[in-house]
Amino acid sequence: MSLGKLADIDRRVFYWILFVALMVPFLSPIGFPITIAPNTQDLYDGITGDEVNEGDVWIVNFGYGVSAWSECHPAVTVCTKALFREGAKIIFTGIHVDLELTYNKLRDTCSEDFADKVYGEDYVFLGYMTGGESVVAQLASNIKSVYPADHFGTPYDDIPMLEGVVDHSDIAGVLSSDTGDYGGHFMTQWQGAYGSKVAEIGIAMNGSTDLPRWQAGNFFGVSVGSRGGAELELLIGELGEATTAMDSISVSHLLLILAIIIGNIGVLTEKLGGKK
Amino acid sequence: MAYPTATMDIIGLWLGWLLMLMIYTYPLYKENVTYRFAEHLFIGITLAISAITNLSNIMRMCVTPLMQGNILMIVPLVLGLMIFTMLIPEYRWVSRYPIAVMVGAGFGLGIRGTIKPNLQDAIIDSITAPSGGALIDWFNYLWVAVGLICSILYFLLTYEHTGPLKAPTRIGRLFLMIALGGYFGNTVLFRFTMLTGRAQFFLQVLKLIPM
Repeated sequence: MSLGKLADIDRRVFYWILFVALMVPFLSPIGFPITIAPNTQDLYDGITGDEVNEGDVWIVNFGYGVSAWSECHPAVTVCTKALFREGAKIIFTGIHVDLELTYNKLRDTCSEDFADKVYGEDYVFLGYMTGGESVVAQLASNIKSVYPADHFGTPYDDIPMLEGVVDHSDIAGVLSSDTGDYGGHFMTQWQGAYGSKVAEIGIAMNGSTDLPRWQAGNFFGVSVGSRGGAELELLIGELGEATTAMDSISVSHLLLILAIIIGNIGVLTEKLGGKK
Repeated sequence: MAYPTATMDIIGLWLGWLLMLMIYTYPLYKENVTYRFAEHLFIGITLAISAITNLSNIMRMCVTPLMQGNILMIVPLVLGLMIFTMLIPEYRWVSRYPIAVMVGAGFGLGIRGTIKPNLQDAIIDSITAPSGGALIDWFNYLWVAVGLICSILYFLLTYEHTGPLKAPTRIGRLFLMIALGGYFGNTVLFRFTMLTGRAQFFLQVLKLIPM
């Protein structure tokens, strides 16, 4: 086969190779090394040690749906574990219609940490909210007005851990995990407006948006995609889903680079050979 | 998370596995009836769940408080209903009022919180020289400075990009292309990570790796 034909390879061939190649590292892990990025370290440091007091109330916002579990969920799992172990209380909110599935998955992936916590006293699932930046701003000024009741219908005033929790000043920090830009909304409406502590657990695609915000001090930490999740798993000392998936993700990236090189060799050979 | 044991959970798991494969027949083979069935099923179910969730949300946040005597809640309810006049051409103008309220509120809220984090902090961070003496920090600082100035100059549309403006605007365009390439690359890699998740699920359902 001449090199010029490389550019004409059916893309389905690449898809098949990719689909099969992604599975191999799960069956036979390679063990690529993982180093901790400073933005991930800052996130971890901000939710552990002296940064968290027992009884502090934090918000964990599910800004991702089932499709982005592989990207965001490992980092959310580690952060939930870390906050619970520091004695913090957590309010779970979300913006996707399938957020109950995500909440249930979190209860599974952090089952040991949830086991000794009491619903309504140590954590609460307020559920779905909609309205973009407006609802985030409203949440900062009056949480109850957005959530008159929790996800299961229990009135806000009947939930013990929410007694005295009125607005942003009663919240120690916010962790927003996103496929979109709710982290940005929390940044403008909580951090920018009131100086609240906000961190972002974003998908890799948002890394180039989130990292400058961390560098500017608007986010106290940022976790970028599955890689961030794997780094956090390393930091807490409990390897999980993200660490397992990192080999496969690395293979996918290598394959993509290989495909770009092959495609370019093909096109260049065609051009240099004078083929139209 | 362990492999489910309840019958309904196992059925759900295998149904998800099957539907996933049906969707993947499109890129791996070609468009076919199984792909279209799975696609339509997905869209239908998503829309149904979305409609129910949002309707419940309106009931919870607006209708219930209204029924309990919070008369102010009639305002968002009426504004919401006014949007539907968009469907009647002769009364379409009515829908502009709730849209105006939404746009106004959006701008107001946006401006309130945007100036400090998105402008002030970003500018300060960009013009503050690195405190350490590491060469890479200074390189990054200068790289960002040149990129920022040249990219902004590229959008200077009141002057023709000739003479002294020619070189910096060209450089600015290159920086923009590199940035957009970076965004696109990140987007592709994010999709690959999603695919990795599906590959893992594929093997987990077959019990080839632990769930």
